[in-house]
Amino acid sequence: MEQETILEMNGIKKSFNQVEVLHGVDFALHKGEIHALLGENGAGKSTLMNILGGVHQPDDGQIILNGQTIKMENPRISQKQGISFIHQELNVVTDLTIYENMFLGSELRNKWGILDVKEMCRQTEEILSKLGVHISPKTYVRDLETSYKQMIEIARSLLRDSKVIIMDEPTTSLTDNEVDRLFELMRSLKSSGVSIIYISHKLKEIQAVCDRYTVLRDGHFVGNGWMKDTDLGQITQLMVGKSVSTEAFHHENKAGDPVLTVKQLTSESLFQNINFEVAKGEVVGFTGLAGDGRTELFESIFGFRKKYDGVIEVNGRPVKINHPKKAVQAGIGLVPKNRKENAIIKDLNVIENMSLSSMGHFEKNGLIHAKHEQKTFYDYKNQLNIKVHDPKVTIDSLSGGNQQKVVIAKWLEVNADIIIFDNPTQGIDVGAKNEIYQHIMNLADQGKAIIVLSSEAPEVLRICDRINIMFQGEITGRFNREDVTEELIMEYATGAKKEAENVG
Amino acid sequence: MANIKTNDNQTTTNRGLNFSWLWSEYSVVIAFIIIFIVAAFMNDRFLYLQNQLNILMQVSTIGIIALGMTVVMLSGGIDLSVGSVLAMAGVFSVLALNASESIFVGVLTALAVGAMAGLLNGILVSKGRIASFIATLGMMAGARSIALYVSDGGSKSAEVDGFMNISNSSLGMVDTPIIVFLGLTILIYILMQKTRFGRYVYALGSNEKAALLSAIRVDRIKIGVYTLCGFLVGIAALIETSRLNSISSSSSGNLYELDAIAAVIIGGTRMTGGKGKVIGTLFGVLLLGVLNNMMNLLNISPHLQGLVKGLIIIVAVLFQKRD
Repeated sequence: MEQETILEMNGIKKSFNQVEVLHGVDFALHKGEIHALLGENGAGKSTLMNILGGVHQPDDGQIILNGQTIKMENPRISQKQGISFIHQELNVVTDLTIYENMFLGSELRNKWGILDVKEMCRQTEEILSKLGVHISPKTYVRDLETSYKQMIEIARSLLRDSKVIIMDEPTTSLTDNEVDRLFELMRSLKSSGVSIIYISHKLKEIQAVCDRYTVLRDGHFVGNGWMKDTDLGQITQLMVGKSVSTEAFHHENKAGDPVLTVKQLTSESLFQNINFEVAKGEVVGFTGLAGDGRTELFESIFGFRKKYDGVIEVNGRPVKINHPKKAVQAGIGLVPKNRKENAIIKDLNVIENMSLSSMGHFEKNGLIHAKHEQKTFYDYKNQLNIKVHDPKVTIDSLSGGNQQKVVIAKWLEVNADIIIFDNPTQGIDVGAKNEIYQHIMNLADQGKAIIVLSSEAPEVLRICDRINIMFQGEITGRFNREDVTEELIMEYATGAKKEAENVG
Repeated sequence: MANIKTNDNQTTTNRGLNFSWLWSEYSVVIAFIIIFIVAAFMNDRFLYLQNQLNILMQVSTIGIIALGMTVVMLSGGIDLSVGSVLAMAGVFSVLALNASESIFVGVLTALAVGAMAGLLNGILVSKGRIASFIATLGMMAGARSIALYVSDGGSKSAEVDGFMNISNSSLGMVDTPIIVFLGLTILIYILMQKTRFGRYVYALGSNEKAALLSAIRVDRIKIGVYTLCGFLVGIAALIETSRLNSISSSSSGNLYELDAIAAVIIGGTRMTGGKGKVIGTLFGVLLLGVLNNMMNLLNISPHLQGLVKGLIIIVAVLFQKRD
């Protein structure tokens, strides 16, 4: 069956600062389909969608919607044409209630110009219940979990009666159940004739829900087709231009003496009675669903949170850690999650970000020795394959993967014995992901103790020797890599099973 | 043919890039040069060396305070108490001087009172977790009140010979306050660009949480920032007191905080911290000084000078490249 094309983008070109990032990209969307837009970070997906959403203007090329050429001069025009854009970053106003957010900018008013709260609440409730969310429309958004905030974003586009919905990584903060509900909803939207453009790095999800795909690489169109005629390997190959293995990573070094021992660590309402050990040259994973407390646990061990009881021993000696500085002195480093908020200083340049935690190494008579700093950076640039032309540019001009490598370099320079990686590959494309895994393996081979926190079970299965599964602030399962599967992890992570001490 | 075309494009884009880079980095310098040239054309006395030194002399107090303000604002805070602390430090300095008859004790008292007020600001902001605007607003009211109470609302005059020499001596043609101001500018520049402390201040102004997670002692850096600012205010208080050999508890330092903030902002420092330069502040201070001088030379009514100054501040910031 040949389907009707609702949207065509032809020969779109766009340059930023005299650098062309889209080299004449074509894109076609059928009516009533879910279309995956794929590509590595920096391939031009977001730019293309921002052009469609009216955020950017193309230098060349045209957009044809329902057979008519349209100039998307600003986001308003795009919205009027029935295109809504759900951004990766949440665009909700946390100090307003749910219904106020839903109707922000298009509030319903009665004939006297007074807000029609009742009607807005009714419509909000209706749409939210379609999404399977049952909360009062008058709840303040600041009191909601991140996944609910994401749901509000999605609900808002449904409210507008959109013809085309662009979803940029909508599932990053959703739990599995919510993802399933979202997919169900996407399918019912599809059957009612709405077209969805779906951007994601999670290929499994794409396979589950998308009908067709378009792949971009380095601002070029490299392929499209039907999802059912292809497999993930082929798509990955298109995305990166070569085949990428999804095999597990191993390191040669055997685990040595324990370096970090945690005994009965408890923090009220965050985590309870946590015991574990990590040895030299070992990669230990912690996984679980949102709200399992693993980030809070390791933020406490790193001294970012101070209110906890229990014992932390490093190399057999108990340490009192109440500030990240103390953690660093004890030999613990943390590569935090949410790089933009927690790890990079966007106004400092790449070199300065690298040296920030170990300024003492670069000082001479109390002054910073810039040459030494630079030389050290170039060592790490080679070692970690950091791609940057001029390391004096601010770090936010680098891609996510390269930013993460700079953060890793920062902790290597500190020479920490224990390095905690929290969601180390968040927002990083497939190629760079594997590189980062390989660096983690190398670190383990050098005798570092590595802890990896991740919400993605496949990730911990690929790189960790031992896996701890957490549920509501407790470790519910411990396994060696060989003894556990993704399904089993899910059972422990959802609290369906619980047997805390099955590995010595 | 096609090749030639690309080359053409590239040269023009490069030129465009360079200018926009120059403008974004040094807009305050360009603005300063423009106003300087305008002033030179408007009045031929403007370029006299004596007039130029006069301008520097007039801006030295505000300039020293603005240096401290730059550091505070780079850290993401603000210090509204500088004017009041200047009055308080001046009053205590004169009291100590007269009581001890030692210039050394007088100098030490001014610096210590300034630094202590700054230290208190820093502790309130970092340990007390009070917004810097509020904490220093409290200090502003409190310090002025203490100055007024101690001197019964009037002025305090120094009664020790030689105290006036601090501000009224000179090295060749250049008055001591100018040397102190320019010397401190160089020191603060080095502090902010070449030392760990400076790097940490930029980091914490840009992203406090990431700075903390990078194992920076954020609290101590904040305390250091406000203490440094208070210390510099102490130096400014000395210069101010010594110049006239007296200090007024009610009018000395009035609205200095606003002039200092204006100079820092004109100098291109971002209000929320993390971005800005000491050199920018230097030119911001000079720009305000030249402007005042020009208006005096042109006999513009003092009642109108505020309006002109306000306009220039707004225009300068309007043209700055912001993100």
